[in-house]
Amino acid sequence: MAEIATSWRPRSAWAGIAQPGSFGAKGKTGVVATLLDGFGLATLIAEPGAATSLSRAVEGRLGIALPEMPRIVSGGAHDAIWAGPDQWLLRAALRDGFQPLLDELAAHAAVSDQSDARAAFRLQGPRTRDLLAKGVMLDLHPSAFGVGETAVTSVAYLGVQLWRLADGPDGPVFEIMVARSMAGSFWSWFTAAAAEFGCRVADQD
Amino acid sequence: MRITCPHCGARDAQEFTYLGAADPQRPDGMAATEAAMTEYVYLRDNPAGSHRELWYHGAGCHVWLVVTRDTHTHAIASVEAARARKAGAAA
Ligand SMILES: [Zn+2]
Repeated sequence: MAEIATSWRPRSAWAGIAQPGSFGAKGKTGVVATLLDGFGLATLIAEPGAATSLSRAVEGRLGIALPEMPRIVSGGAHDAIWAGPDQWLLRAALRDGFQPLLDELAAHAAVSDQSDARAAFRLQGPRTRDLLAKGVMLDLHPSAFGVGETAVTSVAYLGVQLWRLADGPDGPVFEIMVARSMAGSFWSWFTAAAAEFGCRVADQD
Repeated sequence: MRITCPHCGARDAQEFTYLGAADPQRPDGMAATEAAMTEYVYLRDNPAGSHRELWYHGAGCHVWLVVTRDTHTHAIASVEAARARKAGAAA
């Protein structure tokens, strides 16, 4: 029997939408967008009353408890990100071993692998907050939105989830995640909004 | 107008969808009278003042909320998760 050849290849959520380079104001790098790729991502939804057992299972396996407030908790190669009451995103830096982990957690929650369903990037640089203020309806001033906080909201009518990581050498660091099918529309807003500050787009290390 | 979601904090009203009065309860079962169904489906108070109403935080945590709002001033007295209400209670 002839072997069936396939031309299907894994494809980054940013493929054909964003690529490394610079755009906008010349001679300035107000913001740097790092395109994230290759991570594992799943939604965890606990039944009412089951969040504690789910959190214990995650903690036993990864050493991080699920945050009860809108926060991101990181431990090693995994992040637990609040996404609503009794709902979280679980992110793994790499997909190796992710499926067995999800299989284990499925005993405690409704688990859905969303690894290929979201597009994400990291945003930093001195003008990061000025840029976000053009689209995010939340107060992201450091006194109102601290390191480790997350929000589910919308930008330019597109649903997004964002969170703030520890500051870097150029100030604040945020990560933003959108539905993959909306990545093109989101990038259209982003490039228009970021142009005045000068933007460098980089691939993940 | 901003609504302070108990889960997400203060958010612009455009993140929410309005449904209507929070307190009418659907009559139970096929035996409900026509009058009771008519009351439930069509007849609403239209208070000038405090009103308990359902809002859905669709652009945020995806939770149904009961918002107590003054229809004169839009001042919001309280916001609670709808599921925190006892099921079936007229509150
Ligand atoms: Zn909310």
